Amino acid sequence: MADEAVAKAGLHFDELNKIRVLEPEIHQQTSELKEECKEFVDKIDGFQSIVGGLIEMVDSLAKEVEQEKMKAIGSRNLLKSISKQREAQQQQLQALIAEKKTQLERYRIQAAGLQKEEAEQNEFIEQFILQK
Amino acid sequence: MRFKTSLAKDAKHSELVSCVAWTTSEELYSCSDDHTILRWKLLSDETTTLAKLPSDVYATDIHFFPKGLGGKTKQPQADVFVLTSTDGKFLLISKSGRVEKSVDAHRGAVLSGRWSYDGTAMATAGEDGQVKIWSRSGMLRSTLAQTGSPVYSIGWSPDSDQVLFTNGKQLIIKSMQANAKPIQWKAHEGVILKVDWNPVNNLILSGAEDCRYKVWDSYGRQMYSSHPHEYPIVSVSWAPDGQLFAIGSFNTLRLCDKSGWSYALEKPNTGSLFCIAWSGDGTQVAGACGNGHVIFAQVIERRLEWKNFEVVVISRKTIHVRNVTNDAKEKLEFRDRIIKTSIGFDHLVVATSSQCYVYSTKNWNTPMIFDLKEGTVTLIVQAEKHFAIVDSAGIHLYTYEGRLLSSPKFPGMHSETLSAQSLCVSNDTVAVRDKSDEKLVHLFDSATSRQVDNKPLAHKLEIVEIAMDQCGPASDRHLAIVDKNRDLYLSTVRNVGKPPKIVKLGNMISSLAVNDGTNMLAALQDSKLTVWFYPSVAYVDRELLPLTIMVKDASEFGKNPQIVDFLGNHLTIRRADGALVSTGISPYPAMLHDLVNSSRWEDAVRLCRFVKDQALWACLAAMASYAKELNTAEVAYAAIDAADKVQYILYIKELPLKDVRNAEMALFCGNSQDAEGILLQAGLVFRAIMMNISLYNWDRALELAVKHKTHVDTVLAHRQQFLDSFEKKETNKRFLQYASGVEVDWDKIQTKMETEYQKERENPNAKPYSK
Repeated sequence: MADEAVAKAGLHFDELNKIRVLEPEIHQQTSELKEECKEFVDKIDGFQSIVGGLIEMVDSLAKEVEQEKMKAIGSRNLLKSISKQREAQQQQLQALIAEKKTQLERYRIQAAGLQKEEAEQNEFIEQFILQK
Repeated sequence: MRFKTSLAKDAKHSELVSCVAWTTSEELYSCSDDHTILRWKLLSDETTTLAKLPSDVYATDIHFFPKGLGGKTKQPQADVFVLTSTDGKFLLISKSGRVEKSVDAHRGAVLSGRWSYDGTAMATAGEDGQVKIWSRSGMLRSTLAQTGSPVYSIGWSPDSDQVLFTNGKQLIIKSMQANAKPIQWKAHEGVILKVDWNPVNNLILSGAEDCRYKVWDSYGRQMYSSHPHEYPIVSVSWAPDGQLFAIGSFNTLRLCDKSGWSYALEKPNTGSLFCIAWSGDGTQVAGACGNGHVIFAQVIERRLEWKNFEVVVISRKTIHVRNVTNDAKEKLEFRDRIIKTSIGFDHLVVATSSQCYVYSTKNWNTPMIFDLKEGTVTLIVQAEKHFAIVDSAGIHLYTYEGRLLSSPKFPGMHSETLSAQSLCVSNDTVAVRDKSDEKLVHLFDSATSRQVDNKPLAHKLEIVEIAMDQCGPASDRHLAIVDKNRDLYLSTVRNVGKPPKIVKLGNMISSLAVNDGTNMLAALQDSKLTVWFYPSVAYVDRELLPLTIMVKDASEFGKNPQIVDFLGNHLTIRRADGALVSTGISPYPAMLHDLVNSSRWEDAVRLCRFVKDQALWACLAAMASYAKELNTAEVAYAAIDAADKVQYILYIKELPLKDVRNAEMALFCGNSQDAEGILLQAGLVFRAIMMNISLYNWDRALELAVKHKTHVDTVLAHRQQFLDSFEKKETNKRFLQYASGVEVDWDKIQTKMETEYQKERENPNAKPYSK
């Protein structure tokens, strides 16, 4: 009876007859929950660290990939520009060749003119000898 | 000929270089978009910053005040240059880099600024389409033109009286005179970016966005149009002597001949060449590159040929000479830069920046050397006994021994604009075409530099080209003149007080050359090559002129060829595409000249008989008539079937007195005045009167008769006879006056005339013409 009266006042006694505010059952459950919570927090912490490591790894990987990508783009551009450079060089050389060709043509005409004159002179000499 | 280019390893400017200008032949100024003006000293290879411009000034053009004008005024202003900028101003800057004046000139950028050649004015052109004329101190004089589009480039005419400017695809030449109509023509298919007008050859050069460059004459006629390039032509520039020009484009520098064809192409790594400038001596160019560099290009491998010698300037200070007949090679080294070389008449003349070297082709080891007063030689013209050196101070004649002979000059002479077309030298005479009045040719005696006949030779039209024959005595000197209409005239040079005799030889002459060893003349005439074997025939017997020429078809030389030289029996002709073509003429006319010059008339006749050529006989006829060698003339005229002339020569041969014969020969050559002069000088008044009577020159005959109080009745009687035969009445007042006082008796006159002839025959000097 006495227990009941104490319960009414919101107090309880446990098995060891210590006075308690909570019901011993609830108290037990509470402490169990506390234990469980602690366990849970530990687990979450473990998870966090694992995920953090993963993210770091992925990030570094991304960085590397990015670098490689840039490198690839750069070398591809370089390749393209080299072909353009070649084109420009080719154009320049072509211009120089054209110049040389016109010069050659000039020399050819000059040579032809000189040969013609030589032929004329030979003819003249022959005629001159014949007349004598 | 080609360019040897040099580029510094690193660009001295941090931004593109927009313009360059030479101060001396060793010092260059360059302006860039990094707002600095750099000074390049080529001798010490130094580059210093001359000035830093305000950060809003982006230079577009730079031009130095013309040199040589400081000579008489000695003003420090001579060292000023104009710098135009994109903020609409132009700056007058002293040589030391101090900004003397800054003038607001145009709305938008000022694109070009040029001093006139006489230094009296400056022209600027702007994006606002205006062309403005400024005084020497930078005061606005007038707005010359207003166009709808930006004016990219301007140039002055050689006489500083006209301005050439671009207007989109058009070129416009506008005179300073307000009411003169401008010349305007469409020159390119794209916007014209640069023009240049050369004061020596009077040709205009233009470069445009249609990637072509073109050469024009001052009337806007196209002389040359290039094939299209890969990139627009951004800069064009004439060499000071007008023989070469340079073209700049993206990564392209081209060296061209004045007729347009290209000597060489360089592809330096420069970006666009925004501006090209020739050094004052014409040996190198500087180019303003788009990548901040300044490129220098030396003209090397200039080649000269004369007979069997080949002369090549292989570098700044070295010449190679090769004798092609024995392949002997010589290497000539010089202390200074080689500026001009010339070979001819067995001598090589080399002018460096300080000295002149004269080599004989027989001895390449010991040249004659003398110092030059003025550094920059612009022209060397050779004759057999001496040569002329032209620099900014004037013309100097030197013998091949290096002795200064004379320095002919006349007031208003601009020696820097002289070219081989306007200066001729022969052994005794120097001819210079006047620049301010192009109808005049000044003639000087070589030895004394005194003016021949005390006044210049005047032609009725502007003269574009002159040439003088080289051989024979000074009294036989002739000057060939090509005028604005491209007509060829021959004029006597030594006239001793009489007016010069100018005769026309041909028309449509495009090029002219005189032979070096004889007085033959060659010209390209309307797609034909014409050689006058004996041009003086025009003074002896004009009818022979068409017989004494050789005409050859010139179609093998293409369009618009030029004669380079006429040595011996060879003609060298340059085609419009730059190829040299040589052609020969018959060797006989030169032989004939030699024989006649040494008075071997029988040999000359024998030569003509051997060759059996009409032209040669005609030449001989003219030469013999000129030398009054009647027997030869008779044979020669007979050979070309000129019976009338033979008759007349026979008649002359019968004449008893030498003076009479000379007078008759002068008459034969159509010089009645000379004939009369000869007769009167010899006191043969009767002959002179009879000559005028037979020429129906009645007034003169009467005048002579009255003056010498003899044979008045003879004149009157002949006049009466003449009038009777035409059944006319006397109307001449003088004859009426004398007829009333003089009795005319035909029989008496007949006997009087007979006694005159008798008297001549009995003259102690009377001697018939020897066989």
